[in-house]
Amino acid sequence: MAKLLVVDDEANIRLLYSQELSDEGYQVVTAGSALEAVEKLESESFDLAVIDIKLKNESGIELLQRIVKERHTIPVILCTAFSCYKDDFSAWLADGYVVKSSDLQELKDEIARVLAKRQRGAYV
Amino acid sequence: MDWECCWSREQIEPESCPYIGEGEEDLLVSQRRRIVEKCVECPRFKNDLARMKGAGYPLSDVLPYILTEFQEQKAQMGAMLSFLNSKTREIKFLREVGLVLQTSLDLDEVLSIAMTAITAGKGFGMNRAFLLMTDKDRRHIRGYLGVGPRDYEEAWRTWEDIGRSNFTLRQLARDFQKTKLTSEKVKFHDILNQLTVPLADQGHIFNRALTGKKPILVENALNNPDLDRGLARILGVDTFLVMPLISRNRRIGVIIADNCITHKPITLQDMQSLETFAFPVAFALERASLYERLQEEVAKQKSANVKLREQQELIVKMEKMALVGKITSSIAHSIRNPLMVIGGFARTLLKGAPDDDDKRGYLESIVRETRQLEDVLSEVLDYSESLFPVTDFWDLNELVGKAMGELEGALEQAGVHCRLELAPELPMVRIDYKQISYCLKTITATALATMEPGGELRIESVLDGDGVLLRISDDGKSLTQTAQEALIAPFFQTQELGEGVGLSLCKSILERQGNSLTIISRPGGGNTYSIRLLTRKENI
Repeated sequence: MAKLLVVDDEANIRLLYSQELSDEGYQVVTAGSALEAVEKLESESFDLAVIDIKLKNESGIELLQRIVKERHTIPVILCTAFSCYKDDFSAWLADGYVVKSSDLQELKDEIARVLAKRQRGAYV
Repeated sequence: MDWECCWSREQIEPESCPYIGEGEEDLLVSQRRRIVEKCVECPRFKNDLARMKGAGYPLSDVLPYILTEFQEQKAQMGAMLSFLNSKTREIKFLREVGLVLQTSLDLDEVLSIAMTAITAGKGFGMNRAFLLMTDKDRRHIRGYLGVGPRDYEEAWRTWEDIGRSNFTLRQLARDFQKTKLTSEKVKFHDILNQLTVPLADQGHIFNRALTGKKPILVENALNNPDLDRGLARILGVDTFLVMPLISRNRRIGVIIADNCITHKPITLQDMQSLETFAFPVAFALERASLYERLQEEVAKQKSANVKLREQQELIVKMEKMALVGKITSSIAHSIRNPLMVIGGFARTLLKGAPDDDDKRGYLESIVRETRQLEDVLSEVLDYSESLFPVTDFWDLNELVGKAMGELEGALEQAGVHCRLELAPELPMVRIDYKQISYCLKTITATALATMEPGGELRIESVLDGDGVLLRISDDGKSLTQTAQEALIAPFFQTQELGEGVGLSLCKSILERQGNSLTIISRPGGGNTYSIRLLTRKENI
């Protein structure tokens, strides 16, 4: 069972993600801030992180930079309200990008795609 | 003794002296004036003197000496009078010309009066004159204007017209400016084009005249070993005058004057008169040229002011739009998350609800309406995002790599090789990714426009204090100061705001985000565009 780290500062959204992604058969751990996410990343191992760009204090982008810098090999999917980031992220540090929506299908598809890619050995 | 000449008689009859002509009748009754003006030259008087000597008159030995001396003095007086008359005419003429030269700021008027004065019979009466002027960058003397007839027929026609017109010199100059200046500028185009001489060529006769500050009369040019025969061949004459035009030690130009039609010799007096005339002409030409340039600068300033005003208005408008965008974005953001939660959980509940559950209809309504609201929000956010920058911390090297990857096609088409020299471990820069990417692409496109196939474009990133410097260097044609100013002039092409505004928009974008854009052009070729991006957060 793939283990996901979901980072969002909105408790209800964390709850929604947990619910929906657990239903998909993933083990979901949530974090409400970049700091909490870093702590969890250091103590546990994850297969994938879903990070909201707009976080309090440190942004999702900064967290992503930190993950890359600290040699975590974990793939990252960024979530944002701005569709404009999509063009810039396609070949960017993040492995996936989704525009936040109440319909989580796009996110679920993206998670499945990235995990499949990881399984093929792209991140080892 | 019976004298042959009438000198001894107080009054005479007209038939007594054959040398008294019409209009000189008063000499018949004035003995003194008759002797001084007529008898001293009269052969009969000389016969009378000889007879006196033969008769042993005591003064007859002395009188011839006195007479000779008197005649010499009289001739000298005559010559001086003629010289004075000619000088008086010249002063009157110079005064007339000088008045215009001193007051006129119109280059065409100055040219007209100067060239008319040299070539008109009422002026210096030369057949033809060429004006050569030092060019703006002060490297060459170039042919500017030629005045005079091209052949005998034209000369005859022109001189006949002028003879009939009875114009004063000033009127002639005005008539020339009005009716002939434009055509004369092109008439001697072929000759003028061949008269360009570098100011550094010290041996050339033009420069020799300018250095010596004295006119040079060239005679027998085709057989003079010290002279370049080419000049005589271009002019088609072997005698001409080269007159330097110098104002306050500045080399303004040269006038070449000749008598290509009449072949009348150029005298020392012609040279001296023209030399006197050359100074006010040089001064007036310099002043009129400076005034013309000043007018050009004033016009540029005026147009810059108009552009600046346009820019200010546009900035105010953009700032208002940015504020609207910011507010809209903020509202949309605060709505989006709750909406996502509502819609998301409605979907979760819907998934778990049995098919016959009455609540399914309500849940489906929530999902549908939420979806609709989210679509509206997406549109609002996309629009507001275009109105103000979305700044975040980005890795500049990554941005460069990606932007240049997108420009691969353009680089290939231009035949230009791109070399990236990106410093490792650079701090993140706080920028709007899309806008900086646009700036880099625009600068690259601008650089490519000046480059030749086979050229190299170098892109470097270096740490620079509290910022990161991105340098884009081309090896293309060096941009002039004016071109640089035009490129980054505020909203240089306001009508094209959006796509294609180019560097002016880049500069505006960068400065609004606290960054800067500078352009340095190397004199030997090549330009470097430097963007300085800040790494600090509080500057936004």
